[in-house]
Amino acid sequence: MLVNNFLLLGAVLFCIGVYGVIARKNAVMVLMSIELILNSVNLNFIAFSTLHGNIDGNTLALFIIGVAAAEVGVGLAMVLLIFRNRKSIALDELSEMKG
Amino acid sequence: MIASLLAAAGDWVAPTLDYHALAPEIILAAGIFAVLSIDLFLEPEQRWITSALSGFVMLGALVTVGTLAVIGDDTRSMFGGRYVSDEYALILKALFLVAGYIVVLMSSDEIERGRYHQGEYYVLLLTSVLGMVMMASSRDLLSIFVALELLSIPAYMLAAWNKRNSRGNEAGVKYYLLGVFASAITLYGMSLLYGVTGTTLLTDLGSAITANGRFSGVEVIAVAFIVVGFAFKISAVPFHQWAPDVYEGAPTPITAFLSVASKAAGFVALVTLTFVAFPNAEDVYQPFMWVLAALSMTIGNLYALRQTNIVRMLAYSSVSQGGFILMPLTVAGVDGVGESALKAVVVYLVVYAATNLGAFAVVIAVARKTRSGEISSYGGLFGYAPALGVLMTIFLASLAGIPPLGGWFAKFGAFKAVLDADTGWGYSIAIIAAINTVISAAYYITVMREIWMKDEPTGDTTPIRTPPSLGAALVITCGATIVLGVLPDIVGRFGDITDLTGALGR
Amino acid sequence: MDVISDQNWVLSVGTFLPLAGVLVMLLIPKREELLHKQIALITALATLAVGIYTLVQFDYGQAQSLQFYASTEWITVINSGYTIGLDGISLPLYFLSMVITVLVMIYSWDHIPSPGNPKAFLILMLVLQTGMAGTFIAQDLILFFVFFEVVLLPMYFMIGVWGGEQRQYASLKFFLYTMFGSALMLVAFLALFYQTGRESFSIPFLVENGINIDEDVALWIFAGMFIGFAVKVPMFPFHTWLPDAHTQAPTQGSVILAAILLKLGTYGFVRIAIPILPQAAVKWAPVIGVLAVIGIIYGALGCLAQSDMKRLIAFSSVAHMGFVMLGISTLTATGINAALFGMVAHGLITGMLFFCAGSIKERYHTLEIKRLSGMLIQMPKLGWILGFCAMASLGLPGLAGFWGEFPAILSAYNPAPQLDVTLFRTLMVIAALGTVLAAAYLLWLYQRTAFGEPNPEFTGHGHAHAVGAAGNDEHHSDIHDVNIYEWVAWTPLLIAIVVFGVYPQLMFKVMDPAVTQLVGVFNP
Repeated sequence: MLVNNFLLLGAVLFCIGVYGVIARKNAVMVLMSIELILNSVNLNFIAFSTLHGNIDGNTLALFIIGVAAAEVGVGLAMVLLIFRNRKSIALDELSEMKG
Repeated sequence: MIASLLAAAGDWVAPTLDYHALAPEIILAAGIFAVLSIDLFLEPEQRWITSALSGFVMLGALVTVGTLAVIGDDTRSMFGGRYVSDEYALILKALFLVAGYIVVLMSSDEIERGRYHQGEYYVLLLTSVLGMVMMASSRDLLSIFVALELLSIPAYMLAAWNKRNSRGNEAGVKYYLLGVFASAITLYGMSLLYGVTGTTLLTDLGSAITANGRFSGVEVIAVAFIVVGFAFKISAVPFHQWAPDVYEGAPTPITAFLSVASKAAGFVALVTLTFVAFPNAEDVYQPFMWVLAALSMTIGNLYALRQTNIVRMLAYSSVSQGGFILMPLTVAGVDGVGESALKAVVVYLVVYAATNLGAFAVVIAVARKTRSGEISSYGGLFGYAPALGVLMTIFLASLAGIPPLGGWFAKFGAFKAVLDADTGWGYSIAIIAAINTVISAAYYITVMREIWMKDEPTGDTTPIRTPPSLGAALVITCGATIVLGVLPDIVGRFGDITDLTGALGR
Repeated sequence: MDVISDQNWVLSVGTFLPLAGVLVMLLIPKREELLHKQIALITALATLAVGIYTLVQFDYGQAQSLQFYASTEWITVINSGYTIGLDGISLPLYFLSMVITVLVMIYSWDHIPSPGNPKAFLILMLVLQTGMAGTFIAQDLILFFVFFEVVLLPMYFMIGVWGGEQRQYASLKFFLYTMFGSALMLVAFLALFYQTGRESFSIPFLVENGINIDEDVALWIFAGMFIGFAVKVPMFPFHTWLPDAHTQAPTQGSVILAAILLKLGTYGFVRIAIPILPQAAVKWAPVIGVLAVIGIIYGALGCLAQSDMKRLIAFSSVAHMGFVMLGISTLTATGINAALFGMVAHGLITGMLFFCAGSIKERYHTLEIKRLSGMLIQMPKLGWILGFCAMASLGLPGLAGFWGEFPAILSAYNPAPQLDVTLFRTLMVIAALGTVLAAAYLLWLYQRTAFGEPNPEFTGHGHAHAVGAAGNDEHHSDIHDVNIYEWVAWTPLLIAIVVFGVYPQLMFKVMDPAVTQLVGVFNP
């Protein structure tokens, strides 16, 4: 089993995620793109963990999964908040403050 | 595979816990539960209890930081060096706790008027402080990550505290998305770092990176990603765009908290990583830091010059001050300079915290009357509220670096560190910083002129009533600003590099 | 440099005592105006008492050593200490700052400039006093820098809040010039620190080790200090802030500015730049000398072109400080003695002139020379005092001003052996020409304002200005002669001008040992 394949997949996921964060206007889509990045990180950690034969990477991956869940919870709550106030979740409309 | 993992974990023994070393964290955690559960049984008019209790929790934790500093060994290491309580960690824990306490003082009146969710507000604040306190002790990628998220997630919610206000929403979402994105990028860097070295312990990372003598491309990318991720946290240019909007949209006490404590926590992580994990990676991180520092100072100042809103002006000023704090890190890897660089950063963080919190406290006090964040609303302040006028002058003068106030010594230390290095990088950043010091004086002076030499724009010169808790915050910050400037040795002796790296076997 | 550490609490008390008064005043509400004036005056008097004690205890037999010397650790991180001491060079200026503060306090008793608020005004003045006294006792560069900067903000606010029409512009200009100068000065101090082995910022230490700095480097370091101090003096190309600041500042601000603040710059040259880097001083001396003489001539010509009395006095300051700098640039005992004497004399005389200008402004509500005349008829005492000061200022023998200018010119005839004699003799001739110009503009000023018939505009029975009649009625009711507060504030200065003019040895003998030691390096 080549670790390269996992890393490649991780890198691709990371790039898709970064692209999504930058290019998407919909808050939920941006959240999902961030999840993609986190998943690519998890994939990396697990692959490396197996490569090195220690559990540090796996531990980190588990923590990331837990924390990411909390993060998304907060994120979706905020998206709901905006939706209530403006009936829209398009990020490019969020530009009241400038300068 | 699971079998192999179990085998690897087979020789696990329960680590011995040093409860004294963990006391600040334990008190904070207990305090969080206490506030959360007491809040359930309080009548609305008794809600002030949560504020008082949170203050006491911070002070209680602060007491244990004090006892840790005087009783027994200075350095207590746990979990195989993954969580360390040394002098460096203690001074920063004290900084976070005091900053948290001052933010509680600043908040109590402000949040009480908002009339909702006081208990939750303080719970989130305490949680965020707990994350920061953990950050000061973390010496492992995992604990740094957990601390980072623990301090950030409550901060996102606090930034969006004005739920019904669309500016509050905007602030929260911007802060949240950029913050999460940044920590995702940091994590990706961490995963690569783990991949090349096979460890997450910072000291091991430090020696592993030097092991093969030179850098691989992956290591460069890893270090770069990690630095970029924290650059978001400390709002260094070009990763600063969120800062002014978030600062403007969040409740002002939270703005103060973000601009001081949250920023300091980012710096703490960056410093720990720089000195412990990348001690020999200076060729990679120094140019990064140089560019970030130079851009932060310059761009921050130029934007600050054209602001008309005091909070946005302070936001850009804090971006620029961040550049000054980064400045010593550009030479941290030069032989013999590490110590003065580390001291410069720690001193700057302490002084900056006192001064900036004070400035925001004045902003809160003045906004109670003027209901405006415009700089022009400060006109005539000295006439009808001389104490606030003088205090704001002291804080702004300190930010500008005018002796004998704290800011001058902080700046002086940063300059000394880069000049100590005696390298081209050091001299060039010193020149840029010197020019920026003069530029920054211009916008601080603008506010002082409004306060002293202009007339109140609306003609309403009723005095400002400052609530006692806010007054206490002002007294503490002003006292600290002056004392740190007159007797800088109080903090100057902290942050000995031997404590940070020597105790860890280097 | 020898040090004597007896009674080393004296200087700290004398310097920080005003701050004690500030603390008390901060606790008292603003409306208790009389109480504030009393406390401020008592504090200033107490400080002066400490000053007199210092004067009495000073060992005049060893005026070249640092006395009342104290040194403790202050900022260990940068090896900077709280090192203070007083020798013959700093004693007169240290004491002068205390005297001037007391006199200004007395003058303020019934002359608080608009918009009032004596509490803030007097507090700023006391803070200024601490900064000024501290600068003269500091024997550590960082300590010196901090005290030097303490002066900045109070003066900025004094001009900006209590000043004239253009106060905001003038105060900002003052602030930016000084800030720019002190930034360069700090860089120079840091460079000194690094070039002498990062051991100490203490001035005695640097005096011993500065000589070993490579000459090329020393020239650059000196350049940094030169600009920092020259802005404060102010020397010719850096002087443009001064007329604005003086014209716009309230009387008390102008007096303190002229009497003490300008001396911080010249004192910096004598105390820091020249002793620490003699090798660079020799190279820079011709530049300083030429700029000083340009300042003399430029200041004098500037005076002739002024229509505002205060602005004229400000330009005359530029000229007088030119004489002081010329004396310093000769690097001889005579020259530097003359310069130090000139600093004190200028403090007394120009301070007095600004007092007069302030009082005239208060009575006539204008300082336009065209509109003033016949002061000797309307207010004979004030007129005579103004005349006396003008005479002192132009360097009439027998008054203090003479002993600052004449020896300074004389010393240029025979500069230090390393310097170009021809150049300095040329400078001497031009400077002598400057005294003639000084006589011209001061006599012209005096003639226009004091002689002749009073301007009908201010006499009350002139109906030429019917339009402003209502305003004029108020004006001429203000026109009264010198009042009691003014007498109390001015008499000491007037007496001092005469005493030092008749018996200059009083000050020369204090300064000479220290100066001789200082220039010893130029006359091996």
